[in-house]
Amino acid sequence: MPKIIGAMSLAAVLFCASGAVAGDAAAGDARYHETCHACHGPAGKGASSYPKISGNPIEYTREKLMAYRAGERFGPNSALMIMMAKPLSDEEIENLAVYLKDAKYEP
Amino acid sequence: MKLSTYRSLAVSAASVLLMGVAAASAQGMNVPVIKATPVLEGLESPWDMSVHADGTMFFTEKCKGLSMRSPDGTVTNIYGMKGSEGYSDAGEDLFCEGQAGMMGVASDRDFDQNRRLYVASTSDKYHGDGCKSNFERCDGNIVMRLTLSEDMMSVVDRTDIVTDIQYKPFESDQPFGGPGAHNGGRVRIGPGGYLWITGGDRHSGICPQSPELLCGKVVRVDTDGNAHPDNNPPAGFDKRIYTYGHRNVQGIDFRPSDGKAFTAEHGPWHSDEITALVNGGNAGWDPQQNTAGRGECPDQYCGYEPEQMDGMDPAVRAAYMPMSDPRFDDLMPPTWNNNGWSQGTSSAAFLKGDNWGIYEGRLATGVLGIGFGGTPIGQRIDMISITDDGLAINAITRMPLGFSKRFRGLVMAPDNSLYVATDEGEIYQVTATPMQ
Repeated sequence: MPKIIGAMSLAAVLFCASGAVAGDAAAGDARYHETCHACHGPAGKGASSYPKISGNPIEYTREKLMAYRAGERFGPNSALMIMMAKPLSDEEIENLAVYLKDAKYEP
Repeated sequence: MKLSTYRSLAVSAASVLLMGVAAASAQGMNVPVIKATPVLEGLESPWDMSVHADGTMFFTEKCKGLSMRSPDGTVTNIYGMKGSEGYSDAGEDLFCEGQAGMMGVASDRDFDQNRRLYVASTSDKYHGDGCKSNFERCDGNIVMRLTLSEDMMSVVDRTDIVTDIQYKPFESDQPFGGPGAHNGGRVRIGPGGYLWITGGDRHSGICPQSPELLCGKVVRVDTDGNAHPDNNPPAGFDKRIYTYGHRNVQGIDFRPSDGKAFTAEHGPWHSDEITALVNGGNAGWDPQQNTAGRGECPDQYCGYEPEQMDGMDPAVRAAYMPMSDPRFDDLMPPTWNNNGWSQGTSSAAFLKGDNWGIYEGRLATGVLGIGFGGTPIGQRIDMISITDDGLAINAITRMPLGFSKRFRGLVMAPDNSLYVATDEGEIYQVTATPMQ
């Protein structure tokens, strides 16, 4: 048993050291409903002048959110997104990217 | 009135509400059962509706056009915008951008005889030499009078009765800074059959207090687009103006008991407002730079200042850039200011009919939900009891729908049900029936 625990700990250390964060769709869903859905609508379908943000590759959403968080502007509502992305952690961004990839709106 | 006073009023109102509910239960008062049923789903940004006695409903979709839902549920696409597909006809000058597009719709009070609808839309037909920057005049919003064919499946005549409501053509250095911002766009038929059109300031500092420009105004005209003869704006103002000094009005309706007009207006990260309109009155919004103690502002618009890109206490922002500036002698003070918050009050309709029980006569107000800077998102429909003088509220009750969405358009139907459009793409019929 100690050997197994040791192997698991080693794997966890190696995982963290690599910088990779596995996205959690359920956590992304919860985070999305805290703030994002008010503008982008349920399941990222888009609403009014706010674009659809679901169905994109994980890499795309991750890059965009990280860029907004860094203060980069692209698009007419950049100021809003920069503000909204500022408090996001790497983990939250990853969770959101995973959730939004397959999110679908069902009224 | 200071914000702290407003908050006290709100707390008092809530207390009154709680006592009222208890009393209603004890005395068997008529609290109706309220139920929402979707009548259309899968739409693209439905914005406004006009419902007739036989159940026919005309509705707009912001980037698609005007359609009709027949009583049997069939949908006919009547008049589209440039690029729209599947419509009987289209206006090649009509377009959508950001918050702007095809917006308000209202039916003539003699529709059964003349088959006329009034529709607000963004158009490039009257740009002329303007619209080359955000700092010059850009007449990009119009109101069309559409006459339908006898079978109501198509448009046989289009007459543009108002062609000079300003539009924002380019991005600016503001939050929500895209083109088409603050575009107003609600259209309603008021007492006497006159047409009321609500406007926004299109992120221009000079619009709301300008005597000539129609941006940031509420306009009252006849069905040919001429000024109502009793409009009483200040000397030198365009006679079509009923009230001025507005930020972005997307809700208007007329109190059944006296016909008085009330508006619902978006606030600038503080102070959404319900306002009782006074003929010729000033709503008190003046986002010009170098005005009222403010200096220069980004793109000459102080509307989100100070520190427009950061959240802050709404009361602090309100003190610097008030929604209803008391320095104006002709100020129309707000009836209600959403406890000092901005969450996006988009549309409003008075609840008519005794089927609404204790809520009859209240102003149903749709809130889109905007949660910046720590403000609760607050998507809901409020039912607001307004005092007889229109200057305060008695109570607010949240409409018990069982769901929250971006409630964009509210209008009463002749059968005393409420129709509600959501940005998510649905139109609901909300009914109220006595509990007994």
